[in-house]
Amino acid sequence: MIELTEGYVDSLALNASAIKNAQGLVKKRSFVQLNKSQDGTLLFGECAGSGKSNYACSADFIEPEKPVMRCSCPSRQFPCKHALGLLYAYVGGETFEQANVPEDIAAKREKAEKREQKKAEQVAAGEDTKPKVKKVNKSALKKKIQAQLEGLDLLEMFALSLIRGGLGTVDSKTLKTIKEHVKQLGNCYLTGAQTELRRLAVLIGDEDHREAAYTSIMEQLTLIHALIKKGRAHLTAKLNDPELKLDSESTIEEWLGHAWQLSELKEFGLMSEQVELIQLAFISYDDKGRQEYVDEGYWLEKESGKIHRTVQYRPYKASKYIKEEDSFFDVAVVSELYLYPGDMNRRVRWEKMIHRPLVSQDLEPVHANAHRSYADAVKLVKNQLKNPLGDHNPVMLLHVAEVRQTEQGQFVIMDEARQHVLLNDVFSLGHKTVPLLSHVSEANLRDMTMLVMFEHDQDSGRLAAQPLTIIKGADITRLLY
Amino acid sequence: MSTALLQELHQEVRRIYIAGSDLATGDFRLKRMLPQFEQLGERAPVFKKLAEGIAAVIAPESQETRTSAEKLQDLGLLLSSVLRTLGTTSVEGELRDTANLPHSLTTNLSFRKLAAVKEALTTTGSGRYEIVREAFEAKMFDDMRLLPHAIAALNDPYSELADLVEKKILPSYGPQIVPHLIATYDASGGRLHARKLHVIAVAGGADMNELVLEAAQSGSDEVKVSAIERLADYEQYEPVLLELSRERKKTVREATYYALAKRGSSPAITRLYEAFSGKDMDNALEAACKCDNADFTAMLVNGLELELKQASVVMEDKKKREALWSRIYNFLKALLYRQSDEIYTLLEDVITRYECYVQFGWTDLFDYAADYMEKCGTKSAMYKLYELERRDNRYLPQAFRCSHRLLSPSQLYDRYVEFVDVDVKPRSKKELEKYQKALVEAIESIVVTREYNTHSVPWMKSGSELWISSIVMIPAEQISDEWDDRWLDWFIERRAFDLVCAFARPGHAAAEEFLTGLLVKPLKQSYEFAEKMVRGLLRMKVDDHVRWEALMTLMETTRCDVIDVEVMEQLHQLPATYYERLVAVFPKHRHSSLELLEYVADRMKTDANLEEKA
Repeated sequence: MIELTEGYVDSLALNASAIKNAQGLVKKRSFVQLNKSQDGTLLFGECAGSGKSNYACSADFIEPEKPVMRCSCPSRQFPCKHALGLLYAYVGGETFEQANVPEDIAAKREKAEKREQKKAEQVAAGEDTKPKVKKVNKSALKKKIQAQLEGLDLLEMFALSLIRGGLGTVDSKTLKTIKEHVKQLGNCYLTGAQTELRRLAVLIGDEDHREAAYTSIMEQLTLIHALIKKGRAHLTAKLNDPELKLDSESTIEEWLGHAWQLSELKEFGLMSEQVELIQLAFISYDDKGRQEYVDEGYWLEKESGKIHRTVQYRPYKASKYIKEEDSFFDVAVVSELYLYPGDMNRRVRWEKMIHRPLVSQDLEPVHANAHRSYADAVKLVKNQLKNPLGDHNPVMLLHVAEVRQTEQGQFVIMDEARQHVLLNDVFSLGHKTVPLLSHVSEANLRDMTMLVMFEHDQDSGRLAAQPLTIIKGADITRLLY
Repeated sequence: MSTALLQELHQEVRRIYIAGSDLATGDFRLKRMLPQFEQLGERAPVFKKLAEGIAAVIAPESQETRTSAEKLQDLGLLLSSVLRTLGTTSVEGELRDTANLPHSLTTNLSFRKLAAVKEALTTTGSGRYEIVREAFEAKMFDDMRLLPHAIAALNDPYSELADLVEKKILPSYGPQIVPHLIATYDASGGRLHARKLHVIAVAGGADMNELVLEAAQSGSDEVKVSAIERLADYEQYEPVLLELSRERKKTVREATYYALAKRGSSPAITRLYEAFSGKDMDNALEAACKCDNADFTAMLVNGLELELKQASVVMEDKKKREALWSRIYNFLKALLYRQSDEIYTLLEDVITRYECYVQFGWTDLFDYAADYMEKCGTKSAMYKLYELERRDNRYLPQAFRCSHRLLSPSQLYDRYVEFVDVDVKPRSKKELEKYQKALVEAIESIVVTREYNTHSVPWMKSGSELWISSIVMIPAEQISDEWDDRWLDWFIERRAFDLVCAFARPGHAAAEEFLTGLLVKPLKQSYEFAEKMVRGLLRMKVDDHVRWEALMTLMETTRCDVIDVEVMEQLHQLPATYYERLVAVFPKHRHSSLELLEYVADRMKTDANLEEKA
């Protein structure tokens, strides 16, 4: 028998409105028929829709790690509200009558089984089951690298001409030229550079705060400069390498716009097996530079104590059909964890995951892995910030002996050596959490672990941290999401 | 030391980025800084590198292979990297313990749930109210992260949302919300602070009385109004309220009158009456209407009596008369929904002196009297109503309804149709016709009403329930018990179609003849003719086939609304022989009406098939 919780069904839904619509179907009693198979691995039913005939929907848990939702409705959202509604009805305790598995689903199950069998046979026969990394067409790749180099030249020429004329002279015409260059870079396989140039356009486009934005614009220009320099060096070296191999050590490939494939990561050995992860914080924001919504989760890998990052990009145009990630409160048990090249918080991905409820022992590594000396922690942070292409907002677990306030009311965290770090909201994140500290109980502000995100403010010369989550014993206070 | 120098350099580099790198050649400010960097560079290589960078930027273009912009970018990149390693994490000054206002809230909501509510509370646009209301009902505001947004939403431009937050959401936090609001509360502020005060007073209870009192006495007008509302709950603040009722500002006085009405003590109602009967009548009116107090009612009756006595004095002066009427009208408004012996005596007198007041055109006064007498429903009240009815048919409905309750069926008929025991009868034929028309209308208003209800409609494709407004006639049994048999003949004579349908009874030949006659030649003016006809035929208990035939004919010849409770019922009984005729009327219908007809037609088809098989 399958065990489901409402939270789990929520997590399957693409977005909040899908949840609402699905629950609405249950409330309106739109389900004409609710059935389950004898072994309880399949739920199926019929739901009245706007059409003449009912929609036949089902949820197949024959593989509990990867439930399959099917429905005869024409919705492009997967799972659709009917399949989700079926699950909510199940969670809500509606009676599901036992019935035979419908023919079409039995046929589909059979097909899937055959597929699996074939795979197993291949493994047994010693064949490589993983989809092979595509054989690289070297001459084409060379051409691509040439184009990328040309693109970098184009970007450099434009950036330099902008600087020669001075930021004081930029106007709507400059903005138009930037946008044209963004388009041109699209032909050069340089999505990363394209994004950074678009980010520059966003900064310049904000005319109301131009004076305050000059520092950020200048930072962005130096970043582009670094990207061009490092990118060119990397590409030239790659061109001279007879293998034309990808660089799995640094983030330069991603900066230039390479989208890592799981098979590539596996090939470079960037994969851990049987890992347990706990999500400590979740953020979602609108990245105007990428023209995508970004859902970021910060996770603790229990064994290694490292903080990883899951990133889901949802392009504006397709955001309706891509799952909006959500906060995750259970423990994720991942059989294959793929790690991207990166810094302190490496991006991770997985394809299959099962979850189990979080118990207080699970949080022990959180406290054990928190940095107890701020001097050491800050040194690590600064070391990363120094790199112009490094992640400028590292996230870390810090042990906090106590939280105090300055005369002006600013919050400060202290370690056991009474070293302190100022808490401040990260500007680029756009979410305020510091004011919430005054709502947290006194006890939870002492001798606890705090997940923070760092940011260096060039204008004030300050390195501050934004509190994301407070973990006191087994009690988690998520200040963000 | 060196950090300050680097910051200074950063400012200079930033300046050149803004001005343009072409102007950097020989920049004297950078030139001035160069020696310091060179000096520091002897000890630290990074300063040496920076010094080289500066030197390159200010050097003339021709001496370098790189362009000015490239040199500036190199310097900028190096500098910003260096600065990032020098960020300070410490703060100056004394550190103190945190000033926390902890509470019992949690942080258990997930992003997707939280974000939607946060967005609704912080943006503008439609649909936000529902989201916030649903979130409140789902207890989502127990999440700490919504608290600051809920407080901020007190200032929402959409006032319904701000009201919801003020009246329901924030008070639900209880006393723990108070310190959060007091922190930013300003008694001299506007609407936002009035709302804050309301929440503080409601959530904080009596502990907040001092604050509320202060607000009532020295706050801004809006804050005052909010405070006065709260003071009404406490007896000890009555003197303050009495004092505030003499404030200069109208809104403050109005609020105070409400508070006094709520208090209801003798000094409070005396002051309220003083204001109402004096110059501040308009502002005190609503509070007076709300004041549910017998002594206050007596005061109002006395006052109205005095005002009415003025009538003879101001008879000549039109202006004064109008002013007097508006005062009388306000008294009537304040007396509405009240009942007492004093009111009865006063109105009795008003009716007796009908001629005196009617000359001013004060019909509202008599309308009020007639409605009041009907509500009393006593014999003596009925006779007073007859007095009015005799003078104007306008009061016939009240008198008739009152008589219907008090007289026997035959007495009622005799009085209204045969004029038994009536002193003044209609004199001309025209007058009689007018009277009869008024009578029919009065009876219709009792017998035929409407009802708006949900009905289950299994035939509908989208949804299974429908709100239907339908005609309701009082049950046939009630008619035969409470009404004289002669009415039906009288209605037929008057050709009062609606009433004939309601009063129709089996075996009444004239009625049957009347209705079947109308089937052939439907009344054009009658509203919902077909629906009423179906009901009439049912009451008549005509043969099923006659009724079905009539229904079909009605659907063919009139604008028959099939989504009517009775018509629907009949349609479901219609035998399969009507299939073709039914299909023929499809084009006259659309949407749900058509769905119903299609459903009926389908049913007929299956019935016919079954019969064939049998």
